[in-house]
Amino acid sequence: MMNPKWRRWAILRVLTSLELTIACLATMIVLVFLCTLAQVHLGIFEAVKLYIRSFFVYWPVFGSTIKIPIMPGGALVGLVLLVNLVCAQWARLELSWRKVGLWLVHLGLMLLFGGEFVSGMFQIETQMPIEEGQTTNYSESLTQFEMVLVDRSHPEYDDVISIPDARLQKRGVINDHTLPVTIVVKKYYLNSSVAIKHQPQTAEATMGVGVGMDIQEAPAITTDDRINEPSALVEIQKDGITVGVWWLSTALGAPQSVSIGTKSYQLALRQRRYYLPFSLTLKDFRHDVYPGTDIPKNFSSLVRLRDRKQGENRDVLIYMNHPLRYAGRAFFQASFGKEDTLSVLQVVENPGWLIPYIACVLVTLGLAAHFYLFWRHHWTARSA
Amino acid sequence: MDGKVGMKKMIPWLPAVLGMVLVAAGFLPHRPASGVDLTPFADLPVLQGGRVKPLDTVARAALLMIHGKQKIRRGNKEILAVHWLLDAFARPELSDRDKIFLIHDPDLLGMMGKTQESGKDYSFTDLAPFFYEIEEQNNRALAIEAPRRTRFQSAVVNLSERITLYQRLKNTLQIEGADDFPSELRSYEAALGPGLMAVQAHMKSVKFDRRALDILQHFFSRYRFLAEAGYFKNLPPSSGDHPEAWSNTGEGLVALLGAEGLHPGIADYAQMLWAWRYDRFGEFNRALGRWRAWMETRHAGSLRRSSHEAWFNRVRPFYNGMILYLGVFLLIMGSWLIQPQVLRQAAWRLLVVACAVHTAGLLARIFLQGRPPVTNLYSSAVFIGWIAVVAGGILEKFYRNGLGSGVAAVIGFVTLLIAHHLAASQGDTMEMMRAVLDSNFWLSTHVVAITIGYGLMYLAGALAHVYIFREIFSFSFNEQARQTLTRMTYGVVGLSLFFSFVGTVLGGIWADQSWGRFWGWDPKENGALLIVLWNALTLHARWGGFIRERGLMLMAVGGNIVTSWSWFGVNMLGIGLHSYGFMDKAFWWLTGFMISQAAVIVVGGIRRRRRPV
Repeated sequence: MMNPKWRRWAILRVLTSLELTIACLATMIVLVFLCTLAQVHLGIFEAVKLYIRSFFVYWPVFGSTIKIPIMPGGALVGLVLLVNLVCAQWARLELSWRKVGLWLVHLGLMLLFGGEFVSGMFQIETQMPIEEGQTTNYSESLTQFEMVLVDRSHPEYDDVISIPDARLQKRGVINDHTLPVTIVVKKYYLNSSVAIKHQPQTAEATMGVGVGMDIQEAPAITTDDRINEPSALVEIQKDGITVGVWWLSTALGAPQSVSIGTKSYQLALRQRRYYLPFSLTLKDFRHDVYPGTDIPKNFSSLVRLRDRKQGENRDVLIYMNHPLRYAGRAFFQASFGKEDTLSVLQVVENPGWLIPYIACVLVTLGLAAHFYLFWRHHWTARSA
Repeated sequence: MDGKVGMKKMIPWLPAVLGMVLVAAGFLPHRPASGVDLTPFADLPVLQGGRVKPLDTVARAALLMIHGKQKIRRGNKEILAVHWLLDAFARPELSDRDKIFLIHDPDLLGMMGKTQESGKDYSFTDLAPFFYEIEEQNNRALAIEAPRRTRFQSAVVNLSERITLYQRLKNTLQIEGADDFPSELRSYEAALGPGLMAVQAHMKSVKFDRRALDILQHFFSRYRFLAEAGYFKNLPPSSGDHPEAWSNTGEGLVALLGAEGLHPGIADYAQMLWAWRYDRFGEFNRALGRWRAWMETRHAGSLRRSSHEAWFNRVRPFYNGMILYLGVFLLIMGSWLIQPQVLRQAAWRLLVVACAVHTAGLLARIFLQGRPPVTNLYSSAVFIGWIAVVAGGILEKFYRNGLGSGVAAVIGFVTLLIAHHLAASQGDTMEMMRAVLDSNFWLSTHVVAITIGYGLMYLAGALAHVYIFREIFSFSFNEQARQTLTRMTYGVVGLSLFFSFVGTVLGGIWADQSWGRFWGWDPKENGALLIVLWNALTLHARWGGFIRERGLMLMAVGGNIVTSWSWFGVNMLGIGLHSYGFMDKAFWWLTGFMISQAAVIVVGGIRRRRRPV
């Protein structure tokens, strides 16, 4: 029989121990190194998901779907290190001026870890491609997609019904009382190639532009400079009767339309949109290069920010290292295209963006204080 | 007796004085093989790679990229870069026979029917019969992404780039093979009037002079080629609001002529090349003087800046610094065998001279570029060395045991050697900054802090080597020496943690400012994080008593591996937002260095079991 009191103490001893700190640091070194190597083949996003933003690193057994956890992932190590830090702080480190540096360092580190968790959980990164003269009130995800049914009958606004890609991946029947129709997802490709059919075959789609298209599944993109082009084969039913079967794909461009009774809907698979409570109009995009080369010297977007609720209506210049921060989001100059008439803004929503700044100030002050005290002590000891 | 005492006093000063003489020698004007001082020509500013630089820099960078050296040998004569470039412009039949194309890849040699025994140096003329084959193989290789190319494919692409660069250089100031470009220009000017009249008449559909039009078209097609091929732009705008709008000779010739006629630079350059071609050195200097006078009246600032840079190129502070550091190291080695006091003092004084030269070079670059010290991989090597030397010098000042000087000299020498080789792959070491990196504030805070962290890591690693090897080989490694070394290493590791951490988080803040992500797990960021984690691990293990003195030393040697991975290794992954460019050759050196460090750790670790301390 184990003594519960003893066990409690043992756990506490382990949690406050320096051995645990060292084990966590060593594991973290291994994880960060493996994550860097894996980026060559998986791309940053997947490699980080595998090693850092996970509780366990799994090893898939060949030829089966079984995955064996082989080592703790970054999230677990980070959590344990955080607990270790908090426990050790209270249990071992004396509260004295001599240790003030270490207190600040550890407090800052706790905040830094906390901030990374907040980012991991809540940060949303999207992009807003915007052409000169165009006004936009949404940004698009690079990793998530949605199937939409758009009712455009109202003159003032559009009614958008969105089905996230996570649901589409499960395939099967989507039936909900808020939906005007029943949707049967027959196929869903994470990435696909779309080509015009050369010889007529039996078409999977019965309606829309997809009838004449040859749509094949393609391996998922792992590099960071390209995105997936998913495709879905969906059947639309109304009151148990098939209206038609459509191929939907981000590669197909313009939305297709479907008529249900007297109403007409637009049907599309697109990058997931995040709507903003305000709008941006691109007035001018500038892109300068160094003379006689194509090395970019600077990019900048002059946008008009309009927010009716706040009464904001002003020009903003977004350029390298100078984002627009507004309403909890930050807009960065990310890319450009179409012979310098299209600007791509990176839109980041992160409620914890300020945490690392505070954490860094604390740790820096703490390290400086600690080393100052250490050297002073060391120096007096030497000259004595 | 007096003389002997005087000698004794002088010896510690001798190496320092010799070092200063070596540096001062670089200030003397160079008399090249031709007997003509090419300095005024080398100073001439041109626009290339987005910035105005002297022809001297263009020549050195091009020769480094093609040949891997800043000089060539022709017969038993040594030819300077700018002399070679002038020959390529004016006497290509001479420079075509210079064996400047170094080819290492055995498969590439094999493709041309050569073996490694038949030599590695080839001239343009030697390679000419294989151009078709090289071109075809190059096109195949270009279809493959650079990191996925085989060694042969990389070698073909590299050779093809070098040949193209040489060809473009030859067709920058005049069309290759022009025997008398000045008189061609005169015929062109004469043909312009009738030709342009014919063009106008043709456009109005009235009768026109077909022959005049054909002549003009013939010239135009030649000069359009020149405009395309030109490697740099030699003609600054004669007036106007756009001081950056330089053009090359071809562009100047096909530009629709204003009231001023042809750009005076076209004729002056043509005259210089013609005079050089026919050994009319007096005429060469007159044309050069005319052009410099024109520049002086309109672009005095450019001319002054480019002559400063050319001067900096000639003085070669980092190359001299490298030699001086080697001297310091030899003196320290000597001090272990004979005359410890005298030689240590001599080493210290030479170290001060070497560091002063290094510092002067660093400051000169900051002044020439108008940038903080670290802007690319090359300058990071120079700066890492400088930090380690300064920190080693401070340690020497405190402990006076020769160790600070010794490790400072080794790191200074090695980092400057790395910089020297990086310059060969990079060409121009002061290239412009890409938009995202173009921020002096972040370059001077984040980049400098990170680089200081690297420098201190190497210093700690070098001190640890001293500890490990003294323990193995030396009997005089007493308790006090051991404690001193431990204190030195421990302090440097702590300081390195501070700078690495501050640098890493400043990088995070920069990233947050520029693309909204405090931390993106990008390879370069991960590399910096590894250094921070490694230092934290070392210090915690020491505090907890899990490692003792020798353990600290072994961890510090491990720090060399981690730092090298972060500094060079991650660049070889060829991904990420911070990429400096891919270096194949450096890969083997890096691997070798890491293995050697691992071996040192093993050797140091084995000793521990035999004789526990």
